Amino acid sequence: MIRLSTVFWLLLVFVTGFAMFTVKYAVQSQEDELNRIKRATIAEEHAIRTNEAEWAYLTRPETLDEMNRHYLSLAPIATKQLRVTVADIPLRPQGPALAEAPPAAEPLADSGPPSAPEEPAALTVQVTPAALRVPTTPAAPGKPARAADLAKPTPAKAAVKPAMPARRPTSLDELIAQVAASR
Amino acid sequence: MVAIQYLDDDNPCRPRHFKPPPCVAIVPDGPAMAALEACRSRLLVTAVLFALVFAVVGLRVAEITLFEGGAAQSQIGRFRAVRAPVPSHADIVDRNGNVLATTLDSPSLYAVPKQIIDPAAATGKIVKVFPKLSSAEIYGKLTSSKSFVWIKRHLTPREQYDVNQLGIPGLEFEHEERRLYPDADLTSHVVGYAGIDNAGFAGVERALDEELKERREPLQLSLDLRLQYILKEELQRVIDDFTAKGGAGLIMDVNTGEVLAMASLPDFDPNHPGAPDPGHPGLTIADRMFNRNTLGVYELGSIFKIFTVAMALDTGTSTITSTYDASHPISIGRFTISDYHGKHRVLNVPEILMYSSNIGAAKMAVAAGAQKQREFLARLGLLKTPKIEISEVAAPHYPAKWREVSVMTIAFGHGISVTPLSFATAAAALVNGGVLRQATLVKLPPGYAPQGQQVISAKTSDQMRRLMRLVVEHGTGSMAAAPGYVVGGKTGTADKISGRHYAERKLLSSFVGIFPINAPKYLVLTMVDEPHPNKQSHGYATAGWTVAPATSRIVQRIAPVLGVEPVDEASPEVQRALIVESLQGKRLEAY
Repeated sequence: MIRLSTVFWLLLVFVTGFAMFTVKYAVQSQEDELNRIKRATIAEEHAIRTNEAEWAYLTRPETLDEMNRHYLSLAPIATKQLRVTVADIPLRPQGPALAEAPPAAEPLADSGPPSAPEEPAALTVQVTPAALRVPTTPAAPGKPARAADLAKPTPAKAAVKPAMPARRPTSLDELIAQVAASR
Repeated sequence: MVAIQYLDDDNPCRPRHFKPPPCVAIVPDGPAMAALEACRSRLLVTAVLFALVFAVVGLRVAEITLFEGGAAQSQIGRFRAVRAPVPSHADIVDRNGNVLATTLDSPSLYAVPKQIIDPAAATGKIVKVFPKLSSAEIYGKLTSSKSFVWIKRHLTPREQYDVNQLGIPGLEFEHEERRLYPDADLTSHVVGYAGIDNAGFAGVERALDEELKERREPLQLSLDLRLQYILKEELQRVIDDFTAKGGAGLIMDVNTGEVLAMASLPDFDPNHPGAPDPGHPGLTIADRMFNRNTLGVYELGSIFKIFTVAMALDTGTSTITSTYDASHPISIGRFTISDYHGKHRVLNVPEILMYSSNIGAAKMAVAAGAQKQREFLARLGLLKTPKIEISEVAAPHYPAKWREVSVMTIAFGHGISVTPLSFATAAAALVNGGVLRQATLVKLPPGYAPQGQQVISAKTSDQMRRLMRLVVEHGTGSMAAAPGYVVGGKTGTADKISGRHYAERKLLSSFVGIFPINAPKYLVLTMVDEPHPNKQSHGYATAGWTVAPATSRIVQRIAPVLGVEPVDEASPEVQRALIVESLQGKRLEAY
């Protein structure tokens, strides 16, 4: 009886001792790993700081000005270039023209030469009377609604691009997104 | 017998000759008793001490594991958690986040000569990385008996990389920091510079040194690097064109008091504050570090007339239709006040400002009186040292006794010297609806305008806007016009004092421009020191020919950056906001 309990306790001592050392070494190696990662992070942060300083140095207005003179020759925006706002730029015409464009383009893209599909599609866009009327009317608050009204009655429109927004874009990004969506 | 023997001795193995001692407790007495007691109490004390120590250890273990959640840090090197060294000073960035000042790791290289195996080969390699170092000197250092020698202080990241690539044992790096200004001289007077240990020596670096030390996030200034570049470039152009001694300029948001650009020329490179300027070897360091915007006080001349007119209109001593006889110069004491662009007739208030009449302005001020003038200038903050986030600020100069002659000269900006910054702050209050807001170099949250102080009525402010537009439309500032941006402003050409007299040939030309004047947003103040006439200016070096055209160029370049849309200046809305009723139907003389 006494011997059995001694064996039990001895076993327990060995097991717990082994478990303790295993856990200890596991924790130690994980801590080493953590410190290694932290050191690497710090090194990266230093590199980021250095790179930010370098970026600031390389993009000094002075440098950009010199590079512009060298490669681009861009001039400051003249006042007359700003007389027209984004709202004044006519949108790509909507309505029937758009409805015709995709069917015309698709079959040609499969069979015909690559240059051919461009022209007919572009022509249909330009000639449609409704399309012509939209961009030439001067900017007015009631205008977007009118453009939408013009577009709605044409039955083909809904079938082709139901997601096409009828309102005018407020930013260039929106304009680009709209143009992309209409393709 | 046997049985008794057996009974007596319960242990058969015990030798017969062994007699167990009687089991009676020995009770010692006397000294033995005392010694035993002392022994016991010592044992008790030791046991309690041990128990206490173990209790402390146990409690500490419980505290670390149970209550601190493992957050406690080991003091032993291997287990010490790695922490990023915090830069001693926070970065400074402009309003768009462009870095103006940053703290970079700049390790210094040292050697432990005892650990260098082959000094000759090491010297050759080191000199290859640092061609400027002499190999004899390095060899001497590497073979010295010292245990520590500096090879080079403040290495660049590339140099550090190269040294690491050499792989020479015995070369070590010491962690050091260095303040770096990527934009060099562009923002030198505003940002300032830091010296040893990155302590701020000038500008924002000095004034906000404590805050920069405490901050972790970058400090965002109100400056816009793009505007700063444009302002500096145009100022430099005026200085070059008119061979001036120097210049200063600032761009301010009139509705918040934020300074968007502030340039003073000549300037310096904060990365090497003491280094001479190769372009201008004659200039001293002090000259180049002098911030004309905040540390220079100047008699600004005619641009001060806007304050005279605003005072007269706001206090009610003049109205927009009041007239003053400017046909004859005023003689007072040893002074004679005459007009530079003399019209020699009776002028009304708009004309006095438009043609910049000294006589008219003097008479307006006299009509208001010394007390009102002084009070008004004090209310605009022109009689006290300006407050801003840089340490280089100067107090204004003005007469202690405000005599009648002072009243007259101050009316057209002589006899009082203020900093351009104070002037711009006060001028902004005249046009923004009458609210004086302290100028600041720290970015304010978007849409936030600090609580200001109403210094003139909104009506007077509206009148001032109309009058300042008139100066550009028909008066002395016509060359400041920037079509589409509705510039309003005032020219000022002052004779500089040399010794006790005014020097005729030494001018200080300045222009304050505000755009769009019908709904003021930005103020551009430019000033050149001692411009000389050139061929294009037909012999003039006055403000109308020097800084007014520069203001026009600046406005046309910065307006698209600031997102100010050009308007049709002839449109009815703009015209209605800027019309001066008293001049309606009157034919204006060309300036």
